[in-house]
Amino acid sequence: SDSSLSKMSPCSEAGKPCNPCLDAAKACNLNETCKRLRSAYNSICSKATPPQPSLANQEPCSRKRCQKALRQFFERVPWELSYPLLFCSCPDQACAERRRRTIVPSCSHQERHKPSCLELRHICRSDALCRSRLADFHMNCQMTSHTVTSCPHDNYHGCLMSYVGLIGSDVTPNYSDSSPSNITISLWCTCRGTGSQERECDAFHRDFTHNTCLKNAIQSFGYGSEGGTLL
Amino acid sequence: RARRQKPCSLRELELTVSELGLGYESDETVLLRYCSGKCTAHRHNYDITMEHMMRTGFKKKGRKDKVSNGPCCRPTAFENDFSFLDNKSRYHTIQNVSAKNCGCV
Repeated sequence: SDSSLSKMSPCSEAGKPCNPCLDAAKACNLNETCKRLRSAYNSICSKATPPQPSLANQEPCSRKRCQKALRQFFERVPWELSYPLLFCSCPDQACAERRRRTIVPSCSHQERHKPSCLELRHICRSDALCRSRLADFHMNCQMTSHTVTSCPHDNYHGCLMSYVGLIGSDVTPNYSDSSPSNITISLWCTCRGTGSQERECDAFHRDFTHNTCLKNAIQSFGYGSEGGTLL
Repeated sequence: RARRQKPCSLRELELTVSELGLGYESDETVLLRYCSGKCTAHRHNYDITMEHMMRTGFKKKGRKDKVSNGPCCRPTAFENDFSFLDNKSRYHTIQNVSAKNCGCV
């Protein structure tokens, strides 16, 4: 219980290898609700669907159930426990890989087929929940030149909340690699081959991949400076 | 003079998954709940008879059976499944590792 108090600041435990994502997992495991709901989505998302020879092109897991379990996790677990799993700051690649795997991307994020980003946006917009979550994201994480943080109203927490709101939807974002310091967020989609709509497609995807507000918000959370700016 | 041992109850200990001895390598910390303590208050006539039988009764009747002569403090229920990420970035789910309730059975 000594370390759980200082879980917010990275590399707090002297002598041990520093892995804030591991500290976040510990804090979650020691809380009944967090442990139960994390185990629930982890086991659903990493369970292979029973082999059905008739379906040659089946997905490796039950994507819909996995995404639902992820939404429940982020809806029901207090952000003080769930956000550190997702936005922990990482000194090395092992830690960053753990961070990338938080949402079990092989099931919740990736698909066998990589759709165009506009197609993905269209699918999202035809679902009421996804449409509103995406609108939230665009409102709260929209880069602006009027503020120091490049977030609207310098509100990091608002941006992180909207980002987390997308997890478990048709536009589930994630870290694109396990680079510890150079954070890149992306959707599982491409703008290649979108022809005349390529610019529109790029603009949409760049809201994730080249979003300074989002990147600053994630980095700021990881380094434990959320106390002053968030609430 | 002898320190009175506590009655059978649930205890807890923080461990890493690697320390559970199940063959998984993960530095994730879990709360292990286990059962420990005395069950003397829960002895039935059965246990008293068995203690007596072990001492003299069975031998007299030509038996070499061994029986437990008292209730044991054991889990009567286990916690839900638990899943974790191992050090090679794979998820695992394990069952019946941590006790939920204890009883003298």
